[in-house]
Amino acid sequence: MADAPRLSHTSAMMLQAIAAGHIYGYTVMEVTGLPSGTVYPALRRMERDALIRSQWERQSVADAEQRPPRKYYKLTRAGEKTLEASRKRYPLLAKLVATEEVEDV
Amino acid sequence: MKGQWLQRTTLRVASLLAPSDQRTEWMEEWQTELWYIPQCHATRFCLGAFPDALWLRRNRSEGDRKRTGIRLDSPISCLAVLAACAALSIFLMFYVLAPRLEPPPPPGARGLANVSMGMLLLSCLLMPAALCVWRAPADRRAVPWPNRLRRTIFLVLKIVLLQPVLLCGFLSQAALGPLGGFIGLGFNAAVILALRWVITDQQHRCPVCLRLLSSPVVIGTPSRTFLEWYGTESTCSRGHGLLHTSEIWSSYSGQQWLCLGDSWSALFVKGAGRHL
Repeated sequence: MADAPRLSHTSAMMLQAIAAGHIYGYTVMEVTGLPSGTVYPALRRMERDALIRSQWERQSVADAEQRPPRKYYKLTRAGEKTLEASRKRYPLLAKLVATEEVEDV
Repeated sequence: MKGQWLQRTTLRVASLLAPSDQRTEWMEEWQTELWYIPQCHATRFCLGAFPDALWLRRNRSEGDRKRTGIRLDSPISCLAVLAACAALSIFLMFYVLAPRLEPPPPPGARGLANVSMGMLLLSCLLMPAALCVWRAPADRRAVPWPNRLRRTIFLVLKIVLLQPVLLCGFLSQAALGPLGGFIGLGFNAAVILALRWVITDQQHRCPVCLRLLSSPVVIGTPSRTFLEWYGTESTCSRGHGLLHTSEIWSSYSGQQWLCLGDSWSALFVKGAGRHL
C-alpha cells in the first residue's frame, strides 16, 4: 500500500467513477463534471501508469444496438489499490460519485 | 446533422497534433464518443480534443518520436528540407521584407543574386569560426574519389541552400531597424552556428552513402586514457562502415573511418534506416 501512487483529487474522482461503473469517457465526464480536455488526457495518463486498462467494445454488441462501438475502461489491480489509498486520503470520494450497475460489454 | 461539420472539422484539425502513427485510432475514438454526445454539448466536447492530442504527442515513447519526426537521415531529405526553407525564405524576402526596406533592394532575380553573393561572402568570412569543429577522418584513402566528390557536392549544396535562409534573417533584422550592436553580433553568431551545423552534420554522415550515422556507442572509460582509446563509435545503417570519434583530440587518436567489407552485410538489414 505504501507503494501506491498518490493521485490528485481529480484523478481519484475519475478512478472512483470508473470503479462505480461509469466506464466510458463521456460518462466519466458527466459524473465528475470535468471537461473533455481534462478527462481524456487523464484517462490516457492513468492507462500509461497501469491504473486502468482500455478495451474496445465488441462489434457485435454495438451492431445489435445500432451504434458505433465505444472504448471502455476498467480498473487494474494496481488501480484498485491506488483507489483504496485515495479513499483514505479523500474520505468524501465515495459520496461524490454514485455507484451504478456495471454495464455488460 | 446540422452543425456536425464544425465538430468534425474541429476534430480533424486537432488530429493534426496527434502523432501520425496513432492518428487513425485517436480519430476513431473521438468520433465514436462524439456520436453519444448531445448536440448542444458537442462543440465544447470537441475542443477537448486539442489538449488530448497534445498530451499524446508529448507523451509518446522515444522510439515513436524517432519514427515520426522530420528525418534528415538521407541526403535527399536533408537537401529537400533545406530547399523548402530556402524557398520559404525567398518568398518572405520578396513579398514581406523587401517592401519594408529603405532604400528598397534592386528588384528581380539579378538583385536576389547580388545580395545572395554578398551573403555567401559573409559566410566565407565567418567560415574559419565554423571550421574549428572540423575533424577530418584519419583514414581518407579508404573512401574512393567519386564518394569524396559526392560528399563535397553535398556540402557545397548545403552551404548554398542555407544562404537564402541567412539572408532572410539579415533582411528581417534590417527591416526591423538599423543593424548594429547586439543585433548585429547576434546575426553573426547565428551565421556561425548555422555553418557549424553544416560541418557537424557532414561529419556525422557515412562517406559512402551520405546517410546520418546511427547507433552511437560509447567505448572505453575516461579514467583509462593512458593505454586505451575512448570515444564514440557510430554505425552506418547500410553497413558501409564505422566511425570512431575520440573524446579527446590527440595526435594518435582522432576521428577514424573504418570501412566494412561485404562479409559484414549479413548483419545489416537491407534497406534499414530508409526514411525518405
